[in-house]
Amino acid sequence: MNKLKSWSKIALSAATPLLAFPGLAMAEGAGAPDLRAGWDELWHELMIDIWVIGIIFALITLYLLIKYRRRRHDEEGSAPRLSKLASFGWVFVPAFLFMADDIFLAAKNFELWNKMREVPEGAYEIKVEGFMWGFDITHPGGATATNELRVPEGTPVKASLSSRDVVHSFFLPDYRVKWDMVPGMNTYLWFNSGAPGEHVMTCAEYCGTMHSGMYGKVIVMPKAEFDKWVKENAPAPEKHS
Amino acid sequence: MNGYAHEMSWHTSYWPMVVSVGVLFLVPLAFSFYFVYQKPLLAALSLGIGAPLVLISIAGWVKEGLEDEHGYGTGLSVWAMPFLIVSEALLFVGFFAAYWATRLTAASWPPAGTPELSAVIPIIMTVILVSSSVTIHLAETRLEGEKYDRGWFLTWLGVTIVLGALFLGISAFEWTELFHEGFNFRTNVFSSSFFSITGFHGSHVLVGLIIFLCILIPALSGKINKSFVKAASIYWHFVDVVWFFVASQLYFW
Amino acid sequence: MSTQALLEPSDTAEVAAVKQRFSLKEWIFTTDHKRVAVLYMIGAFAAFFVAGLMAMLMRTELASLGPTVTADPSTYNTWLYFHGAAMILGYQIPALTGFFANYYVPLMIGAKDVAFPRVNALSVWLFWMGIILALLTFVIPDPPDIMWTGYPPYSILTGGNTAFYTFTVLLMGFSSIAGGVNFLTTIIYMRAPGVTWGKMNMFIWCTLAAFIIQIIFVPVLGSAVTMLTFDKYLGTSFFNPAAGGSPLIYENLFWFYSHPAVYVIFLPAIGLIYEIIATFARNRIFNYKKIVYYGVMGVVGLGGIVWAHHLYVAGIPNWMILIHVFMTLIISVPVGLLMIGLLGTLYKGSIHYATPMLYAAGFLFLFLIGGLTGIPNAMSSIYIHLTDTYWMPGHFHYVMAISMTTAIIGGTYYVFPKMTGRMYNETLGRIGFILFFVGVNITFMFTMIMGVKGMPRRYYDYQQFPEIEWMQQIATVGSYIIFLGALVVLISWLHGAFYGRKVGRNPWGSRSLEWTHAPSPPPPGNYGDGVKLPDDWNPYGYGK
Ligand code: HEA
Ligand code: HEA
Ligand code: CUA
Ligand SMILES: [Cu+2]
Repeated sequence: MNKLKSWSKIALSAATPLLAFPGLAMAEGAGAPDLRAGWDELWHELMIDIWVIGIIFALITLYLLIKYRRRRHDEEGSAPRLSKLASFGWVFVPAFLFMADDIFLAAKNFELWNKMREVPEGAYEIKVEGFMWGFDITHPGGATATNELRVPEGTPVKASLSSRDVVHSFFLPDYRVKWDMVPGMNTYLWFNSGAPGEHVMTCAEYCGTMHSGMYGKVIVMPKAEFDKWVKENAPAPEKHS
Repeated sequence: MNGYAHEMSWHTSYWPMVVSVGVLFLVPLAFSFYFVYQKPLLAALSLGIGAPLVLISIAGWVKEGLEDEHGYGTGLSVWAMPFLIVSEALLFVGFFAAYWATRLTAASWPPAGTPELSAVIPIIMTVILVSSSVTIHLAETRLEGEKYDRGWFLTWLGVTIVLGALFLGISAFEWTELFHEGFNFRTNVFSSSFFSITGFHGSHVLVGLIIFLCILIPALSGKINKSFVKAASIYWHFVDVVWFFVASQLYFW
Repeated sequence: MSTQALLEPSDTAEVAAVKQRFSLKEWIFTTDHKRVAVLYMIGAFAAFFVAGLMAMLMRTELASLGPTVTADPSTYNTWLYFHGAAMILGYQIPALTGFFANYYVPLMIGAKDVAFPRVNALSVWLFWMGIILALLTFVIPDPPDIMWTGYPPYSILTGGNTAFYTFTVLLMGFSSIAGGVNFLTTIIYMRAPGVTWGKMNMFIWCTLAAFIIQIIFVPVLGSAVTMLTFDKYLGTSFFNPAAGGSPLIYENLFWFYSHPAVYVIFLPAIGLIYEIIATFARNRIFNYKKIVYYGVMGVVGLGGIVWAHHLYVAGIPNWMILIHVFMTLIISVPVGLLMIGLLGTLYKGSIHYATPMLYAAGFLFLFLIGGLTGIPNAMSSIYIHLTDTYWMPGHFHYVMAISMTTAIIGGTYYVFPKMTGRMYNETLGRIGFILFFVGVNITFMFTMIMGVKGMPRRYYDYQQFPEIEWMQQIATVGSYIIFLGALVVLISWLHGAFYGRKVGRNPWGSRSLEWTHAPSPPPPGNYGDGVKLPDDWNPYGYGK
């Protein structure tokens, strides 16, 4: 069933990954997509896909293992030799089926991938710098914080990532995003902040002794509260040293 | 009736095991004592244990190889050498890949601190190395059949060794000059690649020379394994070919 | 029906061709491929044992929030470093391309030994030196704490002894290259007359493929760790961003080898499973030629161009991701063909469930799960969330750690009578298998679920994810069951080697050369005057 779906979609989507790369497709302009929902949806489709394949293979395996048990000690296998046609058939038919599924998955993948990598316009831009062992955050207005990423609700947020020392990885499990912070490079990711609440923010690339202790929170705040916080925490101009 | 009669005993050789222990002391342990734990004395001790073990096993191995009594792989060295060469080539590919990646993404090249490299030295070195490829080929031509001529073989093998040593000497001279100009491992990304790649190539030349010595010394008393000589000569040509890459990429690009 | 009755009742022990007397010297300085194989086996299982104990410590540490076994995170990191490095470099690669390749290749192709027996002994001893260096981790000050991937700049900045890591890799690498040159030469040039390309055992094909991968890719890893050593100790700046280098160069070079390395493990392992299934199902290999060309060689061809699937979020350019997503997904085609080949070999077979066959059956399921969990990883968008979470240990323990361990343990049971001339105890064998199979599924199923929930890997503690503690606990219980299983396996081998019933040359009733033509255990030189094969000989010529 899944296979059928894949066949019908291939015609439509085979070309997508090529066209949609790099940066040719735009996330539909207006409302920023919900990455978490997008990820979860593709994940579920993918799970159906591999469960179907897995169960088919597992059932066949079980059947063969049970059906062909040895009954007498001098019994031998009696499988017929394959004809030339059959031997090619047993390569190319499965190969095409598998490949069809692969191409279908690749197409699906790049659809989501492009959404995840295209930052919607008007995103709130913050800088996150990883260090051993924490995250330093700088807001556009100059407000700073460590291990506490405050963002306004319902806004796409772009995090520009860098590192002061070794490779870290900025990981927000609830938003299904992460990206490496590489010293000497500038990388980024974006996510859609959603409703007010708190989410884990943690390091996902091994960075030494306290790797597991390198974490903080994303705090999604109602718009007004957030604006207030930003104002209060903006650095006073004369405080520069 | 049972054909096992002449295979009654298990074959043994001391050298593979001894050389491995030697290598453990000679390289990882000595290096770690010196650079990691800053214990020069222990490092020297490690070298003192490792080096003799390695030398004695090389000698022992060569002797055994020439007297080989079971000879399973007789004549196969030549056919094995291409596989080794694939490996060696990929080792250089790794270093070159790093060099290219750095260089092609660099904002400006050469990076600050790089002195003008001499164009004459690499040309001289190329001439020497190519000649040595010719001489080892000459040596090989009188190895077997009616043309067999041990004197000829020894002479040209000797010339090859001298040329190889000369090559290494010039390389060492160039390195010292560069060190004096303040261009060393630490200078910049180019110096990293420059010294690593020329150094690795040089170490291959050195290994080639050691192999040739291992052929020359027993050959003086008439013991020659032809397949092995051919394999060694293929290896030498390979080292020669690699040099073209080294020279063109590091000096003339 | 008793198990024996389903095997060869006529198989009785012959008088040993050579008087066996134990001589330590003949073992340590041996150049005989069968004994080199045993040396490999001891080293590889020692690594498995110690690294397995580290896993038990890690699992115990993770069983509860906060410190459990140790209060020092770097102790945990050192365990994990050792566990990963030793399991891959010290256990699986040497067990498959050292132990099994050495034991089987000359026997299966009808040769007296490998092409260069002394080089063979050299490769096992270099491997041993690597094991010794790795084991020193536990006694030296500032042991390595850089994980088996050793990414700079951490590996350069750390106070830990990165040199022991790089030299372990280099020693094992030299050993692998020596082995590769030796075995490629042996397989290509030393086959007995009659053992043609079209009649080579599947294991030989897979080993050939694995060694092709080794000689091409190992040196690149060698170059990467050499540059790492230079950077840390000589002050070069290959990977130093401040000086114009880049850590990404290391990451790419590392995975350029370490992805193909997983196929170096996978191919010989599935080769062993082919042998076991063909023998215990007494059946021909399904679609032999096509499986070799499109399956085995397909994996070799694709294996080298998918490494960037470890680096989707590392900051590499988009065009690389595009190519590598496609290529990684396409790997499912040759691997799928290899799976179909195994199932086809069961079809109309006559399957006898001795312990090796149980492990082979277990492999079919474990590898299916493991392989299919590779598909989400391959998809760059899904990967973003999953990478570096517990999902990954879930994936690679299924696909590598435990699948390939079923092949290795099953394969060892399979050669056991040939190697020792004795039979292990079937009941112990089965108990071991059941414990192992149950344990691994508990442990790594929960590992995967934790990953989807977001738990990152390489964590000493998980204060930010208190809600998954119960899953960690179940995984820990599972790991104790695995340990029990492994213990039973070990006991069954020791028991079998000393007290097992004596067997003859072919207790399984196989058609393959090493069973039909060589006594158990085979003497020096294997086949005496050499092997003469009839024209219609085939290692899988059943049912005729
Ligand atoms: C023996 C070892 C082994 C094997 C065989 C594989 C096989 C595969 N692996 Fe795995 N992998 C590892 C060992 C292995 N892996 C290790 C050790 C790591 C982690 C390293 C680290 O970071 O420490 C890793 C990590 C890893 C990653 C990176 C994760 C990360 O960076 O966080 C990815 C990403 O693509 C991946 C993918 C795959 C794929 C697609 C396969 C494929 O080859 C699987 C193919 C098999 C099947 C698909 C099942 C059988 C086929 C069918 C039933 C046919 C039909 C199927 C379809 C059409 C889908 N693996
Ligand atoms: C071949 C590979 C292999 C094998 C077999 C295993 C086996 C096991 N591994 Fe591991 N593992 C890795 C390869 C492997 N692993 C790698 C590469 C990593 C990543 C490292 C990194 O992040 O850098 C990893 C990481 C890893 C983690 C992640 C830790 C973290 O990220 O923080 C965990 C956690 O549960 C784990 C657990 C286990 C367990 C419980 C087993 C058990 O199955 C072990 C069972 C074995 C024993 C208990 C041995 C007992 C033996 C005997 C009693 C004697 C028997 C003797 C004979 C049979 C001769 N492993
Ligand atoms: Cu920072 Cu891990
Ligand atoms: Cu991979």
